[in-house]
Amino acid sequence: MIQLSEATTAGWCVVSVRGRADADSADELEAALRTALNNNAKVAADLSGLDYVSSAGLRALIQAARAAEARGGEFAICSPTPSVKRVFDMSGLHQILNIHGALPC
Amino acid sequence: MKAHAPCATLSTIPEEISLCLNGSIHELERLTAGVAQFCASNSLSADTEFQLNLVLEELFVNAVRHGGCEGMENAACFSLTCQPDSIALVFRDRGGPFDLTQAPAPDLNQPLAERRGGGLGIHLVKQIMRDVAYRRDGDWNVLTMQHPAAEQQETL
Repeated sequence: MIQLSEATTAGWCVVSVRGRADADSADELEAALRTALNNNAKVAADLSGLDYVSSAGLRALIQAARAAEARGGEFAICSPTPSVKRVFDMSGLHQILNIHGALPC
Repeated sequence: MKAHAPCATLSTIPEEISLCLNGSIHELERLTAGVAQFCASNSLSADTEFQLNLVLEELFVNAVRHGGCEGMENAACFSLTCQPDSIALVFRDRGGPFDLTQAPAPDLNQPLAERRGGGLGIHLVKQIMRDVAYRRDGDWNVLTMQHPAAEQQETL
């Protein structure tokens, strides 16, 4: 199960992602991020409450980052837990995604 | 943290779980519950539980979405067995023949504009597990592999 909420802080739209980003919830995550990107120039995904991510969840984040790049917007990934960060590292995504230890706003 | 063999100290009888899943992504809930039960009963770390979940999800979703298992009853079965220095995983599915060990590695150096995320799941399985082996057994793909739980706990 995934829980998504949205708030605006200092010019950033922050999408808080809690729970699990797996094959059953990845479409919901991608849709929420795309909606945020459609409405805001700067979007951050706050992953501090994300307990689990699989390749399906990674793909949702990759698609959001690509959408932001295509439209000249900014997309940041913030505060992943150590286990989630390890999955980013194993996937090589730490090299191409904008990952922060804390929220950028 | 000092390493400890998570299963060796509990019993001379290895703790094991076996579960069969129907060909639906919604079965991930039962998969997750099964892994949680196995890890709790063997006092395995949260990190090990995360990685076993990840590996099993990737294998199961691959079989359902790409292997032709969508809609099948008992499309895939897995077992987890605690061993003194590792966790043995056997995953079987009734999808079309597919040898995961021969799948090409994704290009992790592709720029963002060219990344689609394809092949990441198999890559993660190979990163986390060791001694991955495949065989075809009748209508079943059979994968065997080991999770080096004790070694990984040492690094936490």
